[in-house]
Amino acid sequence: MIKTLKANSIYRTIRKVVITGPIWAVLLGVFIIASVVTPDFLSLRNLTNILLQSSLNGMLAIGMTFLMINGYFDLSVGTAMGFCAVLTIGMQPYGLITAILAALVAGLAIGAINGLFVVKAKINAFVVTLAAFIGLRGLIFIYTGERSIVGQVDGFATFGMSEILGFPTLALLMLVFLVIAEFTLRKTGHGRNTYAIGGNAEAARNAGVPVERTTFINFMLCGLGAAIGGIFIASRMNAATPMLGWPDTNLKIIATVALGGTKLRGGFGSMIHTLGGLLTLAIISNSMDLLNVPSFYNRLSMGLILMLVVYIDAKFKPTAA
Amino acid sequence: MKKGMRNLFLLSVLLFVGMFAFAGGGGETKDDVITIGYAVFNVGIDSYETYHNENFIAECERQGVELIQLDAQGDIARQINQVENLMQKDPDVIVIWPVHGKAIVPVVKKAHDEGFKIVIANSPIDETGFDYITAYAGPDNTQEGRDAAEMMIEAFEKRGITGQKKVVELMGLPGYVTAIERSDGFQEVLAQHPDFTLLATEPTDWNREKATRAMEDLLVKYKDLQGVYVADDNLGIGALNALKEAGRAGEVIMTSACIFGEGYDAMKEGYIQGTCYQYSGLDAINTVKVAVKVAKGEEVDFLSTFESPKVTPDNMDDFKRPEY
Repeated sequence: MIKTLKANSIYRTIRKVVITGPIWAVLLGVFIIASVVTPDFLSLRNLTNILLQSSLNGMLAIGMTFLMINGYFDLSVGTAMGFCAVLTIGMQPYGLITAILAALVAGLAIGAINGLFVVKAKINAFVVTLAAFIGLRGLIFIYTGERSIVGQVDGFATFGMSEILGFPTLALLMLVFLVIAEFTLRKTGHGRNTYAIGGNAEAARNAGVPVERTTFINFMLCGLGAAIGGIFIASRMNAATPMLGWPDTNLKIIATVALGGTKLRGGFGSMIHTLGGLLTLAIISNSMDLLNVPSFYNRLSMGLILMLVVYIDAKFKPTAA
Repeated sequence: MKKGMRNLFLLSVLLFVGMFAFAGGGGETKDDVITIGYAVFNVGIDSYETYHNENFIAECERQGVELIQLDAQGDIARQINQVENLMQKDPDVIVIWPVHGKAIVPVVKKAHDEGFKIVIANSPIDETGFDYITAYAGPDNTQEGRDAAEMMIEAFEKRGITGQKKVVELMGLPGYVTAIERSDGFQEVLAQHPDFTLLATEPTDWNREKATRAMEDLLVKYKDLQGVYVADDNLGIGALNALKEAGRAGEVIMTSACIFGEGYDAMKEGYIQGTCYQYSGLDAINTVKVAVKVAKGEEVDFLSTFESPKVTPDNMDDFKRPEY
């Protein structure tokens, strides 16, 4: 009898965690299993590797989280990243700073164009960003002449591989951006407006929330995330290939954010939960590599986990945003 | 509701355990067994690589070598991650078939700096990475280009064509080392023969349709061209389509730097006069042998290439038709 009571209270605690952020239970499960079955998984070096490997997708996921809480998503995020990476490399003859600025401006511009079509022309975001997804790929091919391009500033790759106190610089930067993004969501008017619009756009409009401006800014933030991700990947190899981010980076990012518990319809989610989704997928990918499992299983497991989380999501409604 | 939750937990546990179940025996490595960490380009991309892979695995088994193989599926970003992950497994040697010869350099440097021995397979790494690798194991692409030029010259002699001979070249992907080397080898030999004029070198990006288009254009532009050199048989088949359209197949002499099954058939039909027998299986076995030597600390040539003999209509029956 006592045993069952105890079991029940543990069960209740677990249940609470699962409902508020199912991703943490999943992450914990994945982490434990990975540590048990994967030799070398728990080494410090490997853990920092996982963070490094999630830094690129992390930047894209941060931007996407803003947009998804707002109630939209962006299919062009992978190609936007590719385009910005190509600019980061291709513009280096004009100086590294110019190249990085060009990539950032391009990312913002892509977001702005997507945003304009969605907000002003009222065209479905799926169609708009699908068009950008295809069109940008064409632009990448035109710009690179369908070839891989190589950077001229040799120190750039050194930066991409560098560490601060044993911690990969890119991962550190991503975490800093993530904290800033979480702060923006929680503590600023823009963040509150984003939740309000995602929750109920009509009600938000009636309450005086600048729906169009907020949505437009979130599209630009998504583009900015893609640009920083593009700069990251370019610095990892000091080169860019025309196929970067093609074909399914966009879906991987949307899956990451959804896995973190952000609602596809908007109004609910957080950067910290997105980090949970990000780490879960990174750990699976990393430990499967360490276990010498063919890459296809990676995608299979990603699909399975996403289904599980979406199932929890649909079954157990969170009580508050 | 409660029952639902319990089922859900059961389901999730089953999913995770299931996911990792096939990991069973994968983990442990014995100290006395050589371990090769292999970051491969893209196993499924073409038949050459698929056969390469089968032979690579078989040769590892034959030699009693433990193989940790990760497939980048053509994604350079993924390959960089995988090389980092391989370093975690502490293999005796890391073999990389680079997705991109230049972009792989930073991570190769990182592995080298941490004391790993690296062998590059099949597609050479950019020269800036030479200091960080122990060996390159793969075909001698420059020699293949030279051989193709020699077979071209012999084919002209055999047909008794005299005077100034005009030829064109369809190269692979510009900037890709294999393509550059095959082109350089061909042009090097041709330059020693003043009776040959190279009218044009067109890039095809290894793409058969592009080879067809390029050949169509060349046939219009240079009505008197007599020969075409292609960087591999795949491009040769593309060029052949254009030659057939123009009714000049078989008349225009074609040589190639790398054999494919279809090219073998085209040679049998008299459309290709020479190619190089760069056999995928040999490539793979050579790579494993070099990697094992490197792991044991034995001396290897920096360029550990394997031979790809000349194939002409006269000796082609000595060679098996490649499966790919």
